[in-house]
Amino acid sequence: MNAFAIEHVSKSYILEGAERPVLKDINLQVGHNEIVAIVGASGCGKSTLLRLVVGLDADYRGTISWGNHDRTSASKVGMVFQDHRLYPWLTVQGNVDLAFDNTRLSAAERRDRTSHYLQLVGLADYAKAYPRQLSGGMAQRAAIARALAQEPEVLLMDEPFGALDSILRMRLQDELLSIWEKNKVSIIIVTHDVEEALYLADRVLVMEPNPGRIRDVVEVDLPRPRDRSDPAIAELKRRCLATLV
Amino acid sequence: MATIGAEEDIRVVRSAPDLHLARLKSFFVSAVLICIMPAVLLAFWWAASTKGWVSAQVLPQPDWVLQTFLDLCANGDILAAAAVSFRRIAEGFLIGASLGFLFGLLIGKSKTADSYLGPTFRALAAVPSLGWLPILILLLGIEESLKIVILAKACFVPMAIIAAEGARNVPKGLTEVADVLRLRASTRFFKLTIPAMAPFIASGVRLSLSQAFVSLIVVEMLAGTDGLGYMMVWGRTLFQLDIVIVGMTVVGVVGFALDFVLKRAELLIRRGSGANG
Ligand SMILES: Nc1ncnc2c1ncn2[C@@H]1O[C@H](COP(=O)(O)OP(=O)(O)OP(=O)(O)O)[C@@H](O)[C@H]1O
Ligand SMILES: [Mg+2]
Repeated sequence: MNAFAIEHVSKSYILEGAERPVLKDINLQVGHNEIVAIVGASGCGKSTLLRLVVGLDADYRGTISWGNHDRTSASKVGMVFQDHRLYPWLTVQGNVDLAFDNTRLSAAERRDRTSHYLQLVGLADYAKAYPRQLSGGMAQRAAIARALAQEPEVLLMDEPFGALDSILRMRLQDELLSIWEKNKVSIIIVTHDVEEALYLADRVLVMEPNPGRIRDVVEVDLPRPRDRSDPAIAELKRRCLATLV
Repeated sequence: MATIGAEEDIRVVRSAPDLHLARLKSFFVSAVLICIMPAVLLAFWWAASTKGWVSAQVLPQPDWVLQTFLDLCANGDILAAAAVSFRRIAEGFLIGASLGFLFGLLIGKSKTADSYLGPTFRALAAVPSLGWLPILILLLGIEESLKIVILAKACFVPMAIIAAEGARNVPKGLTEVADVLRLRASTRFFKLTIPAMAPFIASGVRLSLSQAFVSLIVVEMLAGTDGLGYMMVWGRTLFQLDIVIVGMTVVGVVGFALDFVLKRAELLIRRGSGANG
């Protein structure tokens, strides 16, 4: 059973009166508890694809269907946007707390969960800070905490670790994997970092621009925890890069 | 221990008064700048009235006016007139600004509502508040309700325009976050719409109050039996121009103070909402 399936999805934007195809015939089935990574040149439609999946844009051809229910959107889809999109007038804590707005959690449970996820992304000391007082990477981590706190069944992440230094990046990749092991969650992660894709994902989609389409699907059939310097990863990386450039 | 602490204190204290001094200085400089123009006017007025350039009938001497002001203060006339005027502004503002806010929210949020109601609203809004006066006098007489309606209209229009602008300016990215998190309508309103609109609401409050203030004085002059505006008309009919000048000064100073306070408040709200970083 799939968590969700994207079938023959195409999308175009109208730009200066002309129709410009952005996605062309995308097919993708994401299983429960599967991690899929998407890599591809800038502008090839990765963010657009995530927007279609999460339901922010209904203007496309093709179908996106959800496995768990007979409905057009999943009960719980979380999203980390490419930009952090924190509410500037709420503290970090207040921003994360928004994730529980549509739940029945008690105030105490909300507080516990908020501090748990802030701890996880290393922002425990900044719970009371406002977004303008954070660095770019810290803001991105706060946004990650907000999405994780939702404890979604499907988590879409758009370059979530892009603004982080390599040490922190690796730490958060491992945190993400441990969350993924604990909660049954399907993850789509968009990244520019092929190594990150290969370290995290069960499958890596390599996309191609103009119009955006899937060029190659690389199965990463390696057990976890993976070794970042595994020659098998290096081999797969060569294959991805060959397709990308 | 005590000595070390004291030494540290000195280091801190040395820079602090400099900062205070600089602030105090800039405060005085701006206060002096603000006062130059009124002082020039006052000197000119004094010269014009004492040297007989203008007859005392038309332009009484400043010290008479001051005396009149003190008399009016002492017998409570000014206070009573001001109280009446401010109560009217408060009522008109509460009614007009809150309705204006809701209307602005409606046409700002809903394209359909805007295409139905927007053009009519903009056409009616283009008629200045006082343009409504003749027809409203026929409908409502010159009673209290006339003034409240005029004031409410004066507040409604700027508030509605700015609120609509604000509602259209809620950042799209933040709205999408609300969609993904499936925020409840009330949370969406209080944690997204209102804070995002706060700077606009603040400008709306300031503009509608100053509109109300201007309209009020004129309405009271044209169709009034009390209030600051009426006090000025009454002074003119008695050929007591000193009363008129007192009225003008009070209105000017109060209007200035109102605008000053509201501008400050607006600035604080803009900062607080984090809109400017
Ligand atoms: N609202 C829009 N209107 C018109 N064109 C758009 C819009 N949003 C995106 N596009 C176009 O769609 C294409 C894909 O954009 P998208 O943001 O999905 O790229 P991306 O793969 O996420 O790129 P990046 O890696 O730089 O984030 C781009 O060419 C962009 O110009
Ligand atoms: Mg993108």
